[in-house]
Amino acid sequence: MPLVLKDGMNARIDIENHDQQEIKFTTCYMCACRCGIKVTLEDNKVRFIQGNRNHPTNQGVLCAKGSAGIMKQYSTAKLTQPLMRKPGTERGEGIYEPVSWEQALDVLTDRLADIRATDPSKLAFFTGRDQMQALTGLWAQQFGTPNWAAHGGFCSVNMAAAGLYSIGFSFWEFGAPDWDYAKYFILWGVAEDHSSNPIKIGLEKLKRHGGKFVTVNPVRTGYSAIADEWLPIKPGMDGLLAMSMVHVLLQHEKFDYEFLVRYTNASWLVIQSPGQPGDGLFLRDENDHPLIWDISKEIFKNGLDGDISPALFGEYVAPDGRRVKTVMSLMVERYLDPRYAPENVALECGVSAETITRIALEMAHIAFKETVELPIEWTDVWGRKHDKVVGRPVAMYAMRGIAAHSNGFHACRAIHMIQMLLGALDSPGNFRARAPYPKPIPPHQLPENNIDIINAPNTPLSRPPLGFPTRPEDLVIDEFGNPLRIDKAYSWEVPIASHGLMHMVITNATNHDPYGIDTLILFMANMAWNSSMNTANVQDMLRAKDPEFGEYKIPFLVVIDAFHSEMTNFADLILPDTTYLERHDCISLLDRPISEPDSAADAIRYPLLRPERDVRPWQEVMVELASRLKFPAFTKPDGTRKFKDYPDFIVNYERSPGVGFLAGWRGKDGEKSLKGEPNPKQWEKYIENESFFAHHWPDNQKYMRFANKEYLDVAADVGFIGKPEPIIMQFYSEPLQKFRLAGQGLYNGPQPKNPVDRERLVKYFDPLPMWYEPLEQQRVDKEKYPFFALTQRPMFMYHSWDSQNVWLRQILAQNYMYMNARKARDMGLADFDWIWVESHNGKLRCQLKTMEGCQEDTVWTWNAIGKQKGAWGLKDNASEATKGFLLNHLISELLPEKMGERRITNSDPVTGQAAWFDLRVRIWKAEPGEIGSWPQFDALKKLPGDNYERPDVLRFDARTHSKK
Amino acid sequence: MHPALSVIFFTVASGAGFGLFSLLYIADVFSLGGGFNREQLIIGGLMAMALIVMGLLSSTLHLANPKNAWRAFNRFRTSWLSREGVFAVIFMPLALAYLLCIWFDAPAILRIGVGFIVAVLAWITVFSTGMIYACLKTIRQWHTPLVPANYLALGYASGSLLLLLGAVVAKLDTVPYLAMSALIVSVAAVLKAIYYFWIGSPSVTPTINTATGLTRAGVKILDTGHTHGTFLTQEFGFQLARKRAGILRLAVFVVGFGVPGLMLISIFRQPDALWAAAVALFAVMLGAAIERWLFFAEARHVVNLYHGAQRC
Amino acid sequence: MRLGLVIDLDVCVGCHACAIACKEWNASGTIGPLSDYEPYGAEPSGVWFNRIRHYEMDEYPNNKTINFPMSCMHCEDAACVSVCPTGASYKRPEDGIVLIDQDKCMGCNYCSWACPYGARELDRSSGTMKKCTLCVDRIYDQKLPIEERQPACVLSCPAHARMFGDFDDPDSAVSRTVRERDGYPLMPELNYQPTNQYLPPRQKPVIHVDAAPKGGLKESIKQFANRLVRR
Ligand SMILES: Nc1nc2c(c(=O)[nH]1)N[C@H]1C(S)=C(S)[C@@H](COP(=O)(O)OP(=O)(O)OC[C@H]3O[C@@H](n4cnc5c(=O)[nH]c(N)nc54)[C@H](O)[C@@H]3O)O[C@H]1N2
Ligand SMILES: Nc1nc2c(c(=O)[nH]1)N[C@H]1C(S)=C(S)[C@@H](COP(=O)(O)OP(=O)(O)OC[C@H]3O[C@@H](n4cnc5c(=O)[nH]c(N)nc54)[C@H](O)[C@@H]3O)O[C@H]1N2
Ligand code: SF4
Ligand code: SF4
Ligand code: SF4
Ligand code: SF4
Ligand code: SF4
Ligand SMILES: [Mo]
Repeated sequence: MPLVLKDGMNARIDIENHDQQEIKFTTCYMCACRCGIKVTLEDNKVRFIQGNRNHPTNQGVLCAKGSAGIMKQYSTAKLTQPLMRKPGTERGEGIYEPVSWEQALDVLTDRLADIRATDPSKLAFFTGRDQMQALTGLWAQQFGTPNWAAHGGFCSVNMAAAGLYSIGFSFWEFGAPDWDYAKYFILWGVAEDHSSNPIKIGLEKLKRHGGKFVTVNPVRTGYSAIADEWLPIKPGMDGLLAMSMVHVLLQHEKFDYEFLVRYTNASWLVIQSPGQPGDGLFLRDENDHPLIWDISKEIFKNGLDGDISPALFGEYVAPDGRRVKTVMSLMVERYLDPRYAPENVALECGVSAETITRIALEMAHIAFKETVELPIEWTDVWGRKHDKVVGRPVAMYAMRGIAAHSNGFHACRAIHMIQMLLGALDSPGNFRARAPYPKPIPPHQLPENNIDIINAPNTPLSRPPLGFPTRPEDLVIDEFGNPLRIDKAYSWEVPIASHGLMHMVITNATNHDPYGIDTLILFMANMAWNSSMNTANVQDMLRAKDPEFGEYKIPFLVVIDAFHSEMTNFADLILPDTTYLERHDCISLLDRPISEPDSAADAIRYPLLRPERDVRPWQEVMVELASRLKFPAFTKPDGTRKFKDYPDFIVNYERSPGVGFLAGWRGKDGEKSLKGEPNPKQWEKYIENESFFAHHWPDNQKYMRFANKEYLDVAADVGFIGKPEPIIMQFYSEPLQKFRLAGQGLYNGPQPKNPVDRERLVKYFDPLPMWYEPLEQQRVDKEKYPFFALTQRPMFMYHSWDSQNVWLRQILAQNYMYMNARKARDMGLADFDWIWVESHNGKLRCQLKTMEGCQEDTVWTWNAIGKQKGAWGLKDNASEATKGFLLNHLISELLPEKMGERRITNSDPVTGQAAWFDLRVRIWKAEPGEIGSWPQFDALKKLPGDNYERPDVLRFDARTHSKK
Repeated sequence: MHPALSVIFFTVASGAGFGLFSLLYIADVFSLGGGFNREQLIIGGLMAMALIVMGLLSSTLHLANPKNAWRAFNRFRTSWLSREGVFAVIFMPLALAYLLCIWFDAPAILRIGVGFIVAVLAWITVFSTGMIYACLKTIRQWHTPLVPANYLALGYASGSLLLLLGAVVAKLDTVPYLAMSALIVSVAAVLKAIYYFWIGSPSVTPTINTATGLTRAGVKILDTGHTHGTFLTQEFGFQLARKRAGILRLAVFVVGFGVPGLMLISIFRQPDALWAAAVALFAVMLGAAIERWLFFAEARHVVNLYHGAQRC
Repeated sequence: MRLGLVIDLDVCVGCHACAIACKEWNASGTIGPLSDYEPYGAEPSGVWFNRIRHYEMDEYPNNKTINFPMSCMHCEDAACVSVCPTGASYKRPEDGIVLIDQDKCMGCNYCSWACPYGARELDRSSGTMKKCTLCVDRIYDQKLPIEERQPACVLSCPAHARMFGDFDDPDSAVSRTVRERDGYPLMPELNYQPTNQYLPPRQKPVIHVDAAPKGGLKESIKQFANRLVRR
C-alpha cells in the first residue's frame, strides 16, 4: 500500500512506493558527456533518472537529455531484430526481411573472412560517437585493415590535433578549464560541447566568484547568453583575432618570460637557410636534441636539459655557419607586423580594435597581476623543487566554432599561442589537462603505413590505423604517393588527419578513389543524413551501381544502429543494438576519457533492463566476430576463443602488462589502481562503486604536469606516456615545417608530385600559427553568396537521435533559419517567412526567424532537427520532416571545382577536419504558394517487427501503484 | 481569450431568461398594459426558466470533468463562479413558488413578496455572471464594473423584448412595454459604447518588461520553448484583427440595438406588428451573441506577455 | 513556512533540464500522468509544469539573451485559489504550497484564467487542471536521502540557477540570496505576491588594464632584450 501523506486540506498526496523500487547507478549515454546517473526502477520500468552526486563529471546535476532518457528507452524507433535487405529489392527502398542472429553472423563472418584472407583493405569500418574506439580500433588493427576511424574527422580533430601538436593536451576532451580558480574565461565558438554539464556547472562557479566571462561567437544563445561580454565575430576569423591579441600582448611586452623559457620551445633555435633543405628546422646536436643559446655560458646547449639559461631572443650563427634565430624572435617579427594590429583586423573579423586591445590587456592584467599562488610543493623534471604553484587564472575553452573551419587547425594553435604566452596552462585557474594527457608532442604513435603489412592477408597491423605523423615518411601512401586509406587520411592531401576523414568514405568508396572496397560497416553514425555533407547526393551514392556489372559501388553495407535512423534505410544488413540502459559498456582511459583535471577517471555501464527485443550489444557482436575470425588477440594458442564475452574481454585483455580497459580495482583482489593484473571481480567492484572509478591526484601531481616529475613518473609507470620526460610546448611546429619543405621540394624524403599538393603544403603548413581565408570561401563569389551559414547544437537535443523522444521533440520539432533582425528588415523579410537558401552546392527551403543576437552577415539554424519522413518512429506528418530542414544539403564534401585540379576534400588542409562552417549562402523570399521545407524525400517504410503503438495521447506513468 | 460557444450561449440565454422573469414580475405587479392573465404569466415564467436551465446545462458542456460539477457550490465565500451557481440554483425553486402563487391566486402580499425576492435573485445572478469576469485582474478588458453592468443591461434588454413580444401576442396595450424596452435597450447601448471606449483608451497595464522584470531596455521573445501550441496558447493565444473587431462592434450596435430600436418604432405605429416584435427579439439575441463573442475575442490575458506580446 | 523557488537569471543557460526533470518526476508523481498529445505526430504538445522561455533585451550589438524558466509561483494572494468554485485549488496553510485536488477539480479552466503566470495547464485526458506541486511528493518524503528532498528541477539544474527554500525564514539561503542579489517577483502590479523570486543578471565585472610599458609600445624585435632565466 503506497504511503499517503496527511495533508492540511485532506487532499491525498501519494508518496513513492519505495518498497517496489530499486535504485541502480550507471552512466548516461544520451550524449557523449557521460555523466553518472542514479536510476530508479519500478518493476523493470524506469521511474526516474537523476544525476549521481558523487560522479566527477556531473556532480549530481543532469541535463535535459539525461532526464529524458526514459522516453528514449520507450521510443517507438527502437530496432527489434536483425534485418536483411529483401532479395530483389533495391538499396534505399527500405524493404527488409527478419533474419536470425545466427544467420546474420554467419553471412557477415563468411564475408569478412573472405576479405581478410584476400585484401583486408576492402573492409572499411567507421564509427560515430561511440565510446569504445579503443575496442573498435583494436578490432580493425587485428582484422588488418587501415580503413578504420571514428567520427573525429568530421567532428573536431582540428582541436585535438592543434592541441596535441602544440601543448600536449587539447580542447575537446583532453583538457578542461579550472573553474575553481579561474578569474577570466574566454569561450571560443562553443554552443554546448561534450562537457555539457561540466561547463554549465563551471560557468556558474566562475560567475559566482565574480570572474569575467567573455564569449566569442557570431550567435548569442545558450552559454553565450550569460556571458559578461559578447564578441560577435565573423565566422572563420578567430585565428586573425587571436593573432591580433598576440600582437597587443607583444607590443605591451605582456608574456610570461619564465614560462616561455622553461616550458616551451620559444628559445629553441631555428635554422634560417631559405631555399636550402634544412631551412626552418631546429638546430640540433649530434643526438638530435634541439639547441638553445645559453646566455650565461655563451654556448649552444641542449634545449631539453635543465640548468640552462636560454636566450629568448636573438640571431646566432651555428657551428656549421648557418644563421639561426630563436622561435620567439620569429614570433615577434611575425606578430608585431602591422598586419595583425587591431585596427587592421577589426573590419575583417567584426570586432572593434578597442575591444581586441582591451580584452588582450584584461587577460594580461588577470594573468600577471591577479596571480593565484597555492602553497603546494612540487618538483620539476629537471629536479628543481618549487615551494608553490603559480597559476595565471585566465582560462579558455574552444570547440567547433574554431574546429569546423578549414583554417581551424591554425586558429586553434593561435589560441594555444595566447595561453602559452600568458603561461596559462595546467596550473591553477587556467586550462588544465585531463588524464591520460598531457602526452609527448605529438603523442608517440604512428599510423600503420607499411604497405606489405597492410596488404598481408590474415595479418594484424603492427600499429593502430591512426596516429600522429611527424614527417612525410609517416604518411600512409604507396611509393607513387597514392593514399592507402579509403578516406585518404595521411595522404599528401591531408597529411595530419589524425582522426581520419569519415565524411569522405562514402564518396571515395563510390568513386573507387583511391580504390573500391567490398564491405562498409557503419556503427552509430547517421551517415545517410546529418553526419554527411551533401546528404541527398550521399543517398544517391549509396544507391549507385556499377554500370557494367550492375553491382553496387559499395557492394555490402552493414549498419549497426539501435534506432530506425535514415542510415538504416540503406543497409544490406541491419544489426540492432541495445540501448544504454541494456548493455555493458566501458568508458576507458585508453579511449576518450572522462577524467577531470583533479582525477583520472573511467566508468562503466551495465544492464539495468532486459531488452524485450531480439537485439545484441555491438560490443558483444564484435568480440564474437573477432573470435570467429580468430584474431590473434582474441584467440588462444590452441585456436579456441580467448574471451567468453565482452565483460570477460574487458576484464582480462591487457594492452600492456597490468594496463587494461578499466583502471579501477585492478590486481588479483582489486586493491590496485590504474595498473595491476586483471581482477575477475572488476565489474562487481565498479557496480558497487556506482559504476565509476576516480583516482584523485595528490596535490603535488595536479599542476604543471608537462614538467612535473612526480606526475610524469606515475604517468610513465601506468602507461599514459612512454618515458618520464619533459613535455616542451611547441609554439613552432617542426613537423609542419617538414611537410612544408616537402612541398617546396626541399625535403630529403618523400615529396608530393602533384603541384596541387605542393602548393597546399607550402601555403598551409606554416610552422607558426597563421590565418588564411577558409578554402571554400576562397572559391565562391562573396557578392553572390553574402551570408555565412552555421548550425548550433540545441542543449536539449543530441544530433538526429532525440527527435524520437516525445518529450524533447515538444521543445523543438521544427528548426528555423535565424537572421539578424535589422538585416532581415532591410531585406524585407519577417518572422516565419518561408525562404530559399542557396549555396554553391544547392538550395533548400525553410522558415525564417529573426533575432538580435546574430552577427549581421551570419544566418544559423539548429543542427540535425530536420528528419526524413518515416524515420525515428515518427509519423509521416511529423513537423521535423514537413517543416524542419537539414543545412547539410547545402554543404559540399568537395571544394568547388578548379581548373586543372582534381576534386579536393572540403576540409582543413592540415588535419582533414570537415569544414562544415565555411558555408556561404544567399537568401530570398519564397513565392506565396511555396511553403513546407524542401527538399523532401520518400518516407521510410515501417520495419518488420515494428509493432509499436503510436497513440494520439500518451500517458506515461512508471508507477505500478495508485494508478488513477 | 478563446471564445467558447457553450459559454456564449449560456450567458446570452440565461441573461435573457433572468431578465424576462424579473420584468415579467414588474409587468405582473403593475399589470402593465392591462396585465397578462394567469396562464400567460405562467407560460412566460416557464419560458424564462427554460432559457435559464438550457443556459446552465450548456455551461457544463465546457467542463472537462463534468462529474465534479456538483462541487461548484463549495466556494461560495470567494468564487463568483460558485456564487452564480448557488444563486441560480436558489432562484429556481423560488421562481417556481412565485408561479405557484400566481396559479393558486395566493394572497397578493405573498405573491408580491416572493416575486420581489425572485426578481432580486435574478438580478444578483446576472450580476454574478458579470463578476466572474470582472474580478479577474489578469484580463484588463474584463477587470471593470462596466462588465456586470453590460451583462445586466443586455440580459434585461433581451428579456424586455421577449416580454414585448408576449405583450403583442397577448394583444395588450404595448405602450408601457415599448417604453420599458426602449429605455433598457438604449441604456444597454450606451453602456456598451462606454465599454468599448474604455477598453480602447490607453491605460497603465502590465508590459513584457514588467512581466519579465527586465526594464532596462526593450524586450523581445526569442523562443517560447515549445515548437507547437500548448494549453496556454490555445486558451489565451486567440488574436482578433483590429479591423474585424471594428466590423463586429458595428454589428453589435446595428443588429443588437439599432434594429430593435426601429422595430420598437414600427410596433409603436402598428401595435399588432407581431413580425416586428419577433425581429426585434431575434436581433437583440443575435447582437448579444456577437457582443459576447467579441467580449472574449477582445480580451487579452497577461500570460500573452510571456509569449511575446508587448502589452495587454 | 513559505516554500518556493529562486531563479537566477544571471546563470540560467536555458538548457530546459529543469523542465524535463519536472516532466519526468511528475509524469509518475502524485498528480501524474501528464498527457502528451500527438506525441509522434505533426504537432506534439503536452502538459508541463515548468516551461523555459527565451528573451532578448536591447538591440544588436548591445543585445543580451535571457533564458527564463517559469513554474507556479505559489502566490501568497493566489486568485487561482479564491476563484476556484469547487475548492479543488487550495493553498496549504502550513507551507504555502498551492495545490489542485485532482479528485475535486471539474476542469472549468477558471483558475487558469486567474493565473497571470501561465502556471496552470489542463490535462484533457483526466479533465483536470494541473500545475507545479513544488514536488510536495519529494520534499516531504522521509524515505529519500535528506539532500534529495528537493524539487526535481532544482536537483537537476546544471547551472545551479534554481534554489528551493523557506522565504519565511529570513536566514534561509533563499531569503539571503534574494536580499543580496535584489531578487524580484514578476508582475508585482497585480499584487498576487508570488513566492518565487527572480535574480536579475549581474553587472559585468570591471577589469583594470595596465598602462603601456614605460618606453612605449614595442614596435620591433630590436626593442626586446634577453633576461637571465635559468630552467
Ligand atoms: N546537447 C547537445 N550536446 C552535444 C551535441 C549535441 O548534438 N547536442 N553534440 C556533441 C558533439 S558530437 C560535439 S562535436 C560537440 C560540439 O559542441 P560545440 O562546439 O558547441 O558545437 P556547435 O553546436 O557546432 O557549436 C559551434 C558554435 O560555434 C559558433 N561558431 C560557428 N562559427 C564560428 C566561428 O567562426 N568563430 C566562433 N568564435 N564561433 C563560431 C556557433 O555559433 C556555435 O555556437 O557537442 C557535443 N554535445
Ligand atoms: N550541418 C552540420 N552537420 C553536422 C554537424 C554540424 O555541426 N553541422 N556536426 C557534425 C558532428 S561534430 C558530428 S559528431 C556528427 C554526428 O552525427 P552522427 O554521428 O550521425 O550522430 P547522430 O545523429 O547522433 O547519429 C548517430 C547514430 O547512432 C545511432 N545510435 C544512437 N544510440 C545508439 C546506440 O546505443 N547503439 C548504436 N549502435 N547506435 C546508436 C542513432 O540512431 C544514429 O543513427 O554530425 C556532424 N554533422
Ligand atoms: S550531458 Fe546530459 S545527456 Fe550527456 S551524458 Fe550528461 S546527462 Fe547524459
Ligand atoms: S535547468 Fe537551470 S539552467 Fe537549465 S533552464 Fe532550467 S534553470 Fe535554466
Ligand atoms: S502562479 Fe498562478 S497558479 Fe501559481 S499560485 Fe500564483 S496564481 Fe496560482
Ligand atoms: S479547473 Fe479545477 S481547479 Fe481550476 S477552477 Fe475549475 S475546478 Fe477549480
Ligand atoms: S518544483 Fe517540482 S513541480 Fe514544480 S517545477 Fe520544479 S519540478 Fe516541477
Ligand atoms: Mo562531434
